[in-house]
Amino acid sequence: MRPIYLAIITLLCAVLAVAGPASAAPADLTVTSSSLDPAVLMKGDTGMLTVTIQNNGAEPVAIRSARLHGSGVVPLSDPYPSVGEIGAGNTKTFTFTVRADGGEGTFYPTFVLDFRDGGGNLRYPVPIQVEDTPLSASVIRKPDAFAESRTADITIRVGNPRPNNASGVQVVPLGSGFTVTPTSGFIGALAPDASGTVTFNLTPTAETDVTFQVVWRNGINTHTTDLVLPVAFGEDKKKADPIITNVEVMSESGGYRVVGDIMNAGLESARSVLVTPGQPATPIDPFRVYVVGTLDPDDISSFEVTFKTDGTVTEIPLVIEYRDDDGNRYTSTRMVGLGSAPAPIDEREDGGFPLVGAIVVVLVALGVAGAIYHSWRRA
Amino acid sequence: MDTGLIRVLLDPGHFFEARMQDEPSLKVPALIALVIGITGAITGAISANAMIAAFPGDMQALGSIGVAFAVVGGVIGGFFTWIAVGIVFHIVSMLFVGEGTLKRTLEFTGYGFLPQVFGGIIGAIFSYQIFSNLPIMTASRPEDIAVVIESLTDAVLADPLTKIIGIVSILFLIWSANIWIFGMRYARNLSTRNAALTVGIPVGFYILYMLITLAGWL
Repeated sequence: MRPIYLAIITLLCAVLAVAGPASAAPADLTVTSSSLDPAVLMKGDTGMLTVTIQNNGAEPVAIRSARLHGSGVVPLSDPYPSVGEIGAGNTKTFTFTVRADGGEGTFYPTFVLDFRDGGGNLRYPVPIQVEDTPLSASVIRKPDAFAESRTADITIRVGNPRPNNASGVQVVPLGSGFTVTPTSGFIGALAPDASGTVTFNLTPTAETDVTFQVVWRNGINTHTTDLVLPVAFGEDKKKADPIITNVEVMSESGGYRVVGDIMNAGLESARSVLVTPGQPATPIDPFRVYVVGTLDPDDISSFEVTFKTDGTVTEIPLVIEYRDDDGNRYTSTRMVGLGSAPAPIDEREDGGFPLVGAIVVVLVALGVAGAIYHSWRRA
Repeated sequence: MDTGLIRVLLDPGHFFEARMQDEPSLKVPALIALVIGITGAITGAISANAMIAAFPGDMQALGSIGVAFAVVGGVIGGFFTWIAVGIVFHIVSMLFVGEGTLKRTLEFTGYGFLPQVFGGIIGAIFSYQIFSNLPIMTASRPEDIAVVIESLTDAVLADPLTKIIGIVSILFLIWSANIWIFGMRYARNLSTRNAALTVGIPVGFYILYMLITLAGWL
């Protein structure tokens, strides 16, 4: 070889060595991590898939594009059409919006990196879990029976059987025929296998179905679960039960006087207990109504009422009024026979002293006084 | 007005003075006591009849016996009261050295009961009014009879007419006492003062007792 050719080849090699460094091999580029928010999708959920790659080589790697494709979980966002180079030791993150269009299970959409200059591509299957298990809701406390306009405490427990966190959990009572406080209960975030409770004060005005709707978010996706609680009115086994005993009916001028004992045979307190004579009796002073007050369970109190009748009545009702802790009013009656007491003599219109009798007294007094005066005058 | 029973009521002084001229006779006083007893029997029958109505049906016959006892008791009571009062006056007048037979005392005491006839009639009428206005309830069980009778008694005592009967009785008793004063003056040959004390002490105590009883009702 002639020396001139040798020099040209040497120079050319030097120029190539200085002018353009050679690209690192694609094998130096690796996917270091991938994450999904939320971590587990539900069917139809939209999530954010983040893929991080790192250039572990000594040379930069030129990348033409990055994309994601697959079935079951499909990308919604566009591919990265021009990525550029990744320097040695550098990392780069790619984010894709995905949606779970398939059923439940684990899907593997493929993350693809296309290298420049015919360097081939990198294909990396990203595992994405889709599970459709909703949050669970259950009633953990309610009264044995509901009563109209009586407030009942309803406690709802919400559990998270899902493998990922649920956020923004709240319970909203829905329906008609009742009032409820609070109008919604907020629980917040629920970790996997955790639970939270919320209590409502429910006051039904009619028999109805109350739907407790559990609302929560899985990432940016809102989901609901309904829990239906039938509200049917029935006998409250714990309610107050005032009983009247030891009744004694006494006749007195102008009416009757009934004395007796009233006892609370129920399991709850009876408040603002009143005892009044009912129709056909007409309450009269001094005890038109007897205010017993509060009767706790097993408490006993005496009472006394006065009334009058038209004389043909053989029994009258004693009306017991009381309230529960919520202020709901209840009434019950107890018939009392007047058979063992004679009907009272009506009071005279002039306040208890008959006019005819008074006249007779005056006349007799005048007659006696006149006779005595006459007898002594004649003597 | 100068003769007969009217004179006893309005001019007892002259009546007894005239009676002293005759032998003591208990016929008219006994008749007066009988009439008083009859009025008492009527009152007793009215009240007893009201009590019977409270008896259970199978005990009504037993109650009729009670009415009979009330009638007989009323008649006998008239005579008993006459004799008892006469004896009391006779004994009390002894304290004032009274002179005269017991028969004469009983005779004049009997005349003095004449106002009580009117009082008894008025009392019977008012008693009838009280009990007729009293719708009696029948005790369904024998053990309830006591309760019914007690309630009935309370109702009767609470009636204003009962008080009026008491007041009228006191008024007629005062009238009788006035007659008795004249009677004792002649029957026991007492001064007017001693005769007044003879009658006034026992009658005064009795009236006081009646007033206390009445006050208890007021």
